[in-house]
Amino acid sequence: MLTFDHVTKQFGALKAIDDVSFAVKPGIITAVIGPNGAGKSTLVNMAAGSYGVSSGRILVDGVELQRLPKHRIAHAGLARTYQNIRLFDGMSVVKNLEVALVPPQVGRLVADTFGFTPRTVAEERRARCHAVLERLGLAAHAERQAGSLAYGQQKLVELARAIVAAPRVLLLDEPAAGLNHGETELLKQHILDLRAPDLAMVLIEHDMKLIMSISDTIVVMNRGQVLAQGTAADIRANIEVQEAYLGQPGAIKDIEAAARGRRNRVRIREGEGLTWHQP
Amino acid sequence: MALVPVLALIAGQFLPAYPLRILDMILLYAILGLGLNIIVGYAGLLDLGYVAFYAIGAYSWALLASGQFDIHLPFALVLLIGASLAGLAGILLGIPVLRLRGDYLAIVTLGFGEIIRVLMNNLDGVTNGPQGIARIDEAHLFGWTLSTPHDFLYLLVALLVVVFLFVWRIQESALGTALSAVREDQDAARGCGIDTTRVKLVAFAFSAFVGGGCGVVFASMQRFVSPESFTFWESLIIVLVIVIGGLGNPFGALLGATLLILIPELLRAYADYRLLLYGMALVIIILARPRGIISRAFGPSWLMRRLGGGKC
Repeated sequence: MLTFDHVTKQFGALKAIDDVSFAVKPGIITAVIGPNGAGKSTLVNMAAGSYGVSSGRILVDGVELQRLPKHRIAHAGLARTYQNIRLFDGMSVVKNLEVALVPPQVGRLVADTFGFTPRTVAEERRARCHAVLERLGLAAHAERQAGSLAYGQQKLVELARAIVAAPRVLLLDEPAAGLNHGETELLKQHILDLRAPDLAMVLIEHDMKLIMSISDTIVVMNRGQVLAQGTAADIRANIEVQEAYLGQPGAIKDIEAAARGRRNRVRIREGEGLTWHQP
Repeated sequence: MALVPVLALIAGQFLPAYPLRILDMILLYAILGLGLNIIVGYAGLLDLGYVAFYAIGAYSWALLASGQFDIHLPFALVLLIGASLAGLAGILLGIPVLRLRGDYLAIVTLGFGEIIRVLMNNLDGVTNGPQGIARIDEAHLFGWTLSTPHDFLYLLVALLVVVFLFVWRIQESALGTALSAVREDQDAARGCGIDTTRVKLVAFAFSAFVGGGCGVVFASMQRFVSPESFTFWESLIIVLVIVIGGLGNPFGALLGATLLILIPELLRAYADYRLLLYGMALVIIILARPRGIISRAFGPSWLMRRLGGGKC
């Protein structure tokens, strides 16, 4: 289970994340939605150790991630994919996966180099990588250079690399961005297929159709705060209620606009004359 | 390529002393290239001060097997001590500097190389300063005296094979995978659980260890050391050996060393134009093959697959 406990992130004068608390339960898919600048990616980057946490705690099964260096966060069971693909382009697909299985202790690493670890250990690692590639339909590309694959395949390789070490928490940062309809469908099947009782999945996405069709629970964020949390139906109702009765230039419009891309979004925002809200 | 040691041994049987000495130098630089490749070729960290480790090894033999302090330790022991001291220096240097990347790391390592040289130059009481240390012991290895270039040929071929297998092993092991990941994208590597600082430190230590071992052999071959032998120029030559031959490829180091040592020897006849022609030859090679003559992909594992030997 991944828990955000009163997490705040300050970039200078800007509060990108403002006292956010929610839990991501294992066995289900939790989507985090919100307009650009709502703080979704900041949340992921904090959990993965790319950004520091200004205050509050982020926990995976009771382990406080914000105190750990980035590589230890991975060992604690958190894996992620990136908004912009970050594969090891010059290495083969299977080697990309093997990186996630490199033994963490330097002693073991050195022993491995001198051949003190039995050959079966390396073979087991390789077999595990191949099994994951098989599962995601990438087996045929195992020996190809990762950078030479098509964009959609690279996205899948990134997903494969994230799950090969059997993480407890999987953060997917816009996995469908840039994919065509067919590829998105395929991705959807794979994500649904990954759902497992001991895996907490967080999905950050702008594709509302994808979100509504696969998320078990949705967290809506805006301006660094959690606006609402619930099932797909709840959220739809909730946002509409807000819009209808509170007259807030609302979340759902923002979210839909975000799906149209960042450039559009900026224009809309300027048109509406929205400003950052400083509590 | 795999026949290099065999060819070298055969050639050693009938070559006269002078060409034999050149062959020895080629082998020595090939081993240095293999060692530096761990850092530059696999981990992608530009180390411009590799000569420092070479110097530490050389001075180890010069001080521990000469009349300087009247210490006369056996060669095999000093080989281990020199290499280990260099490895230790690699770790000590690595701890503060491996947080740096790219150009900054290159500059700091360059500085380290110079510091060691200047240190040897000024520690008169220990190293005799610029005069160097002469009358170094003849090396004896298991009752066998190493004095002629022919004797050293055997030693160098043996070391080349050992170091070659060692770096190949690194490349194929989990450490090699980790180093490649660091080279490709350090942040993503950390995200995958690689402790990049430690992994680089291990690579630095291994690389320095090989450099130190080469230094011991060099000092026992020359039987004279002075700071002159360990200038920035030497570091540059070793970097060129692997850049010209092919970064991250053990075969590249062999080929690079052959070219870089052989070309200036062949140009000896053109005395005045020698350096000019040497420079031109290097420029032409790098223009024709910007990634080195043998690319990364065609390493020993590739060769084994081609020969049907399966994966090692």
